[in-house]
Amino acid sequence: MNNNVIDQSKDITILELLDRVLNKGVILTGDIVISVADIDLVYLGVKLMLSSVETMEQLKKGKTIKES
Amino acid sequence: MEKMIYALLSVKKESDRLDSMLIGMQGISGANLYSLPVDEITAVVSDTTRAGLITDSTNAITFAGVIEALSQEFTLLPMRFGSLMESTGAILKMLERNYPDVQQNLQQVEDMLEFGLKVFCDSEKLRADLMEKSEIGTKTTVLSTPEVKNSVYRDWVNKKLKEHRLEELLLTHVDSVVAAITEHLSRMNAVCKFKKMLTETTIIDALFLLKKDMKTELMQAVGNLQKQYPGLNFVMTGPWPPYNFVEITIK
Repeated sequence: MNNNVIDQSKDITILELLDRVLNKGVILTGDIVISVADIDLVYLGVKLMLSSVETMEQLKKGKTIKES
Repeated sequence: MEKMIYALLSVKKESDRLDSMLIGMQGISGANLYSLPVDEITAVVSDTTRAGLITDSTNAITFAGVIEALSQEFTLLPMRFGSLMESTGAILKMLERNYPDVQQNLQQVEDMLEFGLKVFCDSEKLRADLMEKSEIGTKTTVLSTPEVKNSVYRDWVNKKLKEHRLEELLLTHVDSVVAAITEHLSRMNAVCKFKKMLTETTIIDALFLLKKDMKTELMQAVGNLQKQYPGLNFVMTGPWPPYNFVEITIK
């Protein structure tokens, strides 16, 4: 397996992981802190999801993350 | 000081084993992890402060790492990052209040793991192949009614009709791939979720929940699917804790 493929796999895994941690799982209401350090977590999640899609597009075009 | 909740676990009579495991682990910012049990359900938590908790990839990965390590040994429901409660008492009351729902969700994912499968395509090539097979490209005018025949819009209408038929063909093709995936997984009693046409190139984003011992069989099935559809690219992720199969909002 070449280094590009390993890099791509790692990036996909990290993006998938962040998407799950920030956007999935059990949701607490009431005492939950949605906003952390004055940044809206939902906004961060959407941003991550968008970059995730962009990264996938770049991978499809045969670029590595580092090249883009 | 607030409590960060990482996961809700089904521990039953193994609380000692859990506590031993937690001694060797660290949470966000190196905080100690500990358990807060109510009967057979346990919340794994660490002390934190709102001001000290930053949403960055390091903390998110640490959070996910704790959940993943626990999921190797126990059935659990992962909490979403940022789930803080003000005190131990508040968490225990929350567990008591939501006990039946949490218990039911834990039973649904008992000894199960989540896997992801993304199917990529070269959008232009796939469309060209489908067009060639269906002969849309070779058959020219479809509309020849008197109203349209001499219309200046005829070419435009035909172009749109061709595009529409191509999209239909593409969806039919994606449906056939979904059907093939479902068929390959039918023997594994997997719970499946599909999203189709996520982007131009990501034609399928699938999630599976299946028994832990089915991992090898799943990988073989995906390998077979890749051989069946050489023009597509099948990318599998996992095993994950069941993030996408938790259907509970607790209060």
